[in-house]
Amino acid sequence: MPKTLFEWDYSDYPGAKKYPHLFKPIQIGNLIVPNRIKYAATEENLNGHDGFVTDAGVEYLRQRAMGVVGGLCFMQGVYMDEKRQGQGYVGQAAAWDDKFIPGLKRLADAVHEQRAVAGFQLMDCGRVGAVEVDYCHGPSAVPQRLRIFKPVQEMTKDDIKTMIQQHIDAAKRGIEAGFDIMEISGIVGYLISNFISSYTNRRTDEYGGDIRGRMRAVVEIIQGVKKVCGPDIPVGIRLCSEELLDDVRGNTPEESMESYKIAEEAGADYISCTLGWQESIYPVISRDIPMGNWIHLAKRAKEHVKIPIQMAYRLFKPGLPNEKIGAGELDIWEICRSMIADPHMPKKVAEGREEEIRHCVACNLCLARLFRDAPMTCYINPVCAHEWQPDFANPKPAQEKKEVMIVGAGPAGLECAYMAARRGHEVHVYDKRDEIGGTLNEAKHAPYGDDELWTCTEYQKVMCEKAGVHFHLGTEVTEELIEEEMPDTVVLATGPVYSKIKAAGGDSDKIVYLLDVMSGKAQVGDSVVVYGNRKPGIGCALYLAKQGKKVTIVGKEKSAGFDVNPSFKWRYMIYMRQNGIMVYNDCDIQEINEEDLIVRSYDGVRWPIKCDTVVVSERGPNESLKKVVQSEGIELFVIGDALIPRNLSSAVHDGYRVGIRL
Amino acid sequence: MPVDTEKEISKMHRTLHSTQTEIGKTYYRWRKVAIEFAGENTKPLDVALRAAEVFGRDIGKSLLPRMNWLKGEEGFLMNLAGALAGLWNTEGGLATVEKGENPAEIFIKCTRDPWPTWAKEYGAPMEEIALCRERMYQTILEDVGVFMNVPLKIELQKAISRGEGETVMRLSKAG
Repeated sequence: MPKTLFEWDYSDYPGAKKYPHLFKPIQIGNLIVPNRIKYAATEENLNGHDGFVTDAGVEYLRQRAMGVVGGLCFMQGVYMDEKRQGQGYVGQAAAWDDKFIPGLKRLADAVHEQRAVAGFQLMDCGRVGAVEVDYCHGPSAVPQRLRIFKPVQEMTKDDIKTMIQQHIDAAKRGIEAGFDIMEISGIVGYLISNFISSYTNRRTDEYGGDIRGRMRAVVEIIQGVKKVCGPDIPVGIRLCSEELLDDVRGNTPEESMESYKIAEEAGADYISCTLGWQESIYPVISRDIPMGNWIHLAKRAKEHVKIPIQMAYRLFKPGLPNEKIGAGELDIWEICRSMIADPHMPKKVAEGREEEIRHCVACNLCLARLFRDAPMTCYINPVCAHEWQPDFANPKPAQEKKEVMIVGAGPAGLECAYMAARRGHEVHVYDKRDEIGGTLNEAKHAPYGDDELWTCTEYQKVMCEKAGVHFHLGTEVTEELIEEEMPDTVVLATGPVYSKIKAAGGDSDKIVYLLDVMSGKAQVGDSVVVYGNRKPGIGCALYLAKQGKKVTIVGKEKSAGFDVNPSFKWRYMIYMRQNGIMVYNDCDIQEINEEDLIVRSYDGVRWPIKCDTVVVSERGPNESLKKVVQSEGIELFVIGDALIPRNLSSAVHDGYRVGIRL
Repeated sequence: MPVDTEKEISKMHRTLHSTQTEIGKTYYRWRKVAIEFAGENTKPLDVALRAAEVFGRDIGKSLLPRMNWLKGEEGFLMNLAGALAGLWNTEGGLATVEKGENPAEIFIKCTRDPWPTWAKEYGAPMEEIALCRERMYQTILEDVGVFMNVPLKIELQKAISRGEGETVMRLSKAG
């Protein structure tokens, strides 16, 4: 008899009318899930290094549980071996002993308090594990492609039996902790996927060979876990629908689909359809991949198995998953990064508040942090991983109401504005431009998905309007205006100042500035040198190269894009090569002439580059108005690029932090 | 101030040669230290071969991200041979790659090698150079072979004596 844990009636939710397929129940095994929304298990490095659950982890999950409005909410995958070979993240939760059960129970309880279905995930990280020990383990000792990972030890048959038992024992602990649904992680290079892949499983015994042999350990795990779960707790598995490892002779798509069928035969109650490996050379989830790019794989999976199919992967907005569920091509919309950026994202969809969603910009900073043993951070959501700190996540109203003048309606200024206004201050935002968004107005024109950055401004605009922020657009703030208004506080969020080229010919009329180029105001010749090798310079270079121009980047940093997180930087490197952009790092411009300019390397070698336009993307802090405000004795904050030119994330985080302090 | 291109290129060229020479000499300085520490009962050749293995292991790891089977076995072997020849060229050698008669057979030919000059300066035996090169490449291939699931073999077929003539190595599938 199917079981319903929590009754949900979505008839009064406007989002349920707009997206009816997302808010209808589904049966998984013998469990009725009220809707088609799942927060997918996500590592966040918030647990103790000994594997115990922390307050930070509990509050993080509680917010996501609130977000799924009765749907599935999975805790991060647990590692299951005391030797910690399966541990892939320093802050990964453990379940190798009963002593972890009380902490795990806190997570299950937090999800249940929100009347959501609590999911428990078993995750031995395999060849990407052993973060705290010297060797990870796998079916075969295939050397690591990426140096960041530890050497692999081949598992003996006894090791495999032990590993299978560890999954079963950990599942028992999950059940005891109160979880409602069990999931086995078999993706992106973790142990289960290592067994399944022809790339990493070279065994000649019964755990290797053809796809059936390579699935044997997986089948034994599914069957063992099913046995302890009984009929009421469904068991699912996350499996690669395409490994994208054809360059190293990984599984074919046909083999992957065969693995789906075998998992279903073994008793899996659902499959979460994934793709790609950490060792794959193909991008899967970064901003340059169009939304919905992979959804056809869910449809293909459904053609091979009868059990429900779930999928995430660049499905950030509700329309497409709703449509695909309606068409029978998908069963459950999985969400991961979108709920890192906004934990209440699906709740806002349900409540008809889509305009209040803070959208993920697919930068992969969250991943980059995890791989570098740092706690989860979101590029765009300053509260992420601070949910357990009420003063930070939900700051109290201000004790004293102030009149706040914010100079600059870019991402730093807007973030600060609505937070301050929400806390009771009277906030006035000034900008000499006629529109809000600051330099994002120009940055959004860069290719490869940078238009998604604009979602930040759209969100901030709505939040400012709701908080009652007053806008004074087309108004340049001057000394006189400050003296006239005499606010209690001034926040300078004026953006950066573009650098002057300190070289002979630095006043040449062939020099233009990045913002004028990106907005189409400046004329640009066919041979262009972009001065500055950080993110803005790269974005501008790609924008110009896409127009067919011959572009060279000259920059003082030792590596181009050093300010871009490593999980995204590699994409830029490839795109620059593909677009024929020459990059000279560790160099400066020495001289600008009629026909060319002279580049000088750090060690004094010089060479000419033919160019008819030089685009300046180098930036410095903006000191204007600072002295005026200080001389008036007004409380002053400087945020965003005006303080130190960095990136969108720093602007948003600066704005938030000052907004909650005022 | 106009750029004197010839002057700038020659400056870079000098820097490159100095760097290569300094790296080669540094190897022999460390070799001396290692032999001293190893003691009289250890053969210098064994020390040098062990160093070649350490180098090979590390270089092998750095090649793995670029290994690619999409062009098939022959394309893979050509790329790998190109990487090995490129390594030699970075050190100041002049190595090229030639296909053999058999599709799974590639020759790496080096017609100029700076190592004998440095070896002579530091009193190291000439035969050590070829043996170390062979051992280093063999060690590189161990990881690459396991990684791509292709048994690989490299053999020294002919060695330059005192920096003249041609060193020839044969890369092929093992077995």
